Amino acid sequence: MKHRKNTGFVLIAAVIGLMIAIQFQTVSEPVERDTRDTWELREDLMEETELQTKLIQEIRSVEEKLAEYKTVRAQSKEQVLKGTLEELKQEAGLTEVTGAGLVLSIEPDFDLMPLGNPAVSVSPELLKRLINELNMYGAQHISVDGQRVINTTVIRIINRDTKIDGHSLNRYPINIKVIVDTVDTAEKLYNRMSVSSVADDFFIDSLRVNVNKPEPEITIPSYQDTIRIRYMEPVNTEKGDNG
Amino acid sequence: MWLPLMGLIIGVIIGLLTDIRIPDEYSNYLSIAILAALDTLFGGIRAQLQNIYDEKVFVSGFFFNILLAASLAFLGVHLGVDLYLAAVFAFGVRLFQNIAVIRRILLTKWTTNEEK
Repeated sequence: MKHRKNTGFVLIAAVIGLMIAIQFQTVSEPVERDTRDTWELREDLMEETELQTKLIQEIRSVEEKLAEYKTVRAQSKEQVLKGTLEELKQEAGLTEVTGAGLVLSIEPDFDLMPLGNPAVSVSPELLKRLINELNMYGAQHISVDGQRVINTTVIRIINRDTKIDGHSLNRYPINIKVIVDTVDTAEKLYNRMSVSSVADDFFIDSLRVNVNKPEPEITIPSYQDTIRIRYMEPVNTEKGDNG
Repeated sequence: MWLPLMGLIIGVIIGLLTDIRIPDEYSNYLSIAILAALDTLFGGIRAQLQNIYDEKVFVSGFFFNILLAASLAFLGVHLGVDLYLAAVFAFGVRLFQNIAVIRRILLTKWTTNEEK
């Protein structure tokens, strides 16, 4: 019984001790009286000023170094490589492109369609011809119905549906966006497409190609899938050097 | 009798070693709580010397007094009345009384021992 009595007492004493210690630590901020005279203050001030000058010098040297590194980096091979990569990406169609161009829209001509026939779809051959023609007249970037056309883009019929890179072209109108180099080229392209014979071929399929006026700003989305490279490998240059 | 003192010392050492600090706003609550705790501690010592010590009373008194003191201080802050003074007064008076009683008991014990 005596032992049990003591444990509670000891525990509470410990808690009180803890509280006192915490309070002591919280309250007892070191209070130091400042008893320096003018000369001592002046000396201290000088010391601090010296320290400040030293720090400022240090900052300046570090900043100089930083600027040096920046210029070195800007002229480095890495930067050139990055620029090249960006250019190549743009060429491959992995970036969004904005520029002067025009929009062609393909839509079914209901006047020409025999009544009761199912809606026609664009045949891949026609679409390929159209894209070839656009490329011939200086098109830089093309997208069909929001799908970017790149070098490896496939246009084919799958299950009686014309697909471009897996995207079905069954909703009319199909907008074909074309970006060219300059506004002048866009104008030229517009004139050429207006008189092009491709429109007649579409006409046979009961489709009409509308060539809209060139616009100074057209945005073409980037290619959305990853480009798979299967049969390419880097050239082994070391061998060439030895041989 | 030495064990509680050991507990107190251990508590202080732990507190100093862990370097716990509480925000300044709460330091007066803690000081009131410490006052209450000290009051309880001396009350307990007195009860033990008078042989009327009860663990339950002691432990419950400890926590209850601390809570009461802290809540009084809290209420005082929010009402704009320095209610913590009430706690300080009550505990201070009780502290003095308890210590006086302990002193007398110890004195009588000492004198009886000497007479033997």
